[in-house]
Amino acid sequence: MTDSDTALRAALRDAQASVEDGDVPQFDRVWAAANARTRVLRRQRRVVVGSVAAAVAAIAFGLLVPRGVELQFIDADELLGTTSWTAPSDGLLPNHQFDIYQEIPVLIESTETYGGTLL
Amino acid sequence: MRESDVLDKNPHVSRSALEAIHGQVFGWALSRSDYDRAVAEDLMQQAYVELLTGKARFDNKSSLKTFVFSVVQNLARSRYRRIASRLRLVQAAGMSTVDDAVQPIEPNENAALWKAVQELPERQRDIVELVFCRDMTIEAAAGVMGVTVGTGRAHYDRAKKTLKIKLTRIGAGFDD
Repeated sequence: MTDSDTALRAALRDAQASVEDGDVPQFDRVWAAANARTRVLRRQRRVVVGSVAAAVAAIAFGLLVPRGVELQFIDADELLGTTSWTAPSDGLLPNHQFDIYQEIPVLIESTETYGGTLL
Repeated sequence: MRESDVLDKNPHVSRSALEAIHGQVFGWALSRSDYDRAVAEDLMQQAYVELLTGKARFDNKSSLKTFVFSVVQNLARSRYRRIASRLRLVQAAGMSTVDDAVQPIEPNENAALWKAVQELPERQRDIVELVFCRDMTIEAAAGVMGVTVGTGRAHYDRAKKTLKIKLTRIGAGFDD
């Protein structure tokens, strides 16, 4: 830095001091205000994030659950009790002791006639 | 740096370190806000909020003073950009542009030297102020202004030349 720079610096500082005269605001006051502002910002951010999350959840729920279908609840006991299944016609099978062909029906034959034809 | 007053979101910044440079930061904020004390205080408060929330993160690559000055500079720029766009909207709507909030308050116009500085182009004015009045190196000042060191040096040389010519004209020469 040359002599002229040093002189310029000194002159500028004087000029600057005359422009910037007055008290500097107390650090503690500015710091406390900044802290308060930070707390407000954090609270606002939490509210915004919460609202967005709730909105996303509501939209997702609305998209995933099909509309117009009634929900049905299954009784847990009934479900656990259903361990085997048989067709309703199984009752007709031989191993169920009921055979429709086991007994052949007896047909009574008529020998009497009426008007030339068998009754 | 005292362990107890280190900022949660900014581990390289402490409350006491900020307190030590508080006066200088206020001077810079004052200059960034056309010497409006209320605006300067608000700028400072905003800068501290940026540090507290970790939005502006100091990584020890420069001095804390340089870093905080650049935070204030950026905040002031975005603030005036907002005001300028609002002003454009008002003008576009054909409304009155008289607004006390955006009228810069003229500093002491009697000081010929200060007036000469204020008449310099913005970048030259900034580097002169940072180097001569705020005790910064050209490198640090360039960092605050967001320009390369080479550009900063060019602005500094040009500003000095212009300033010396102006001051010689008004009879306050600073010849080498």
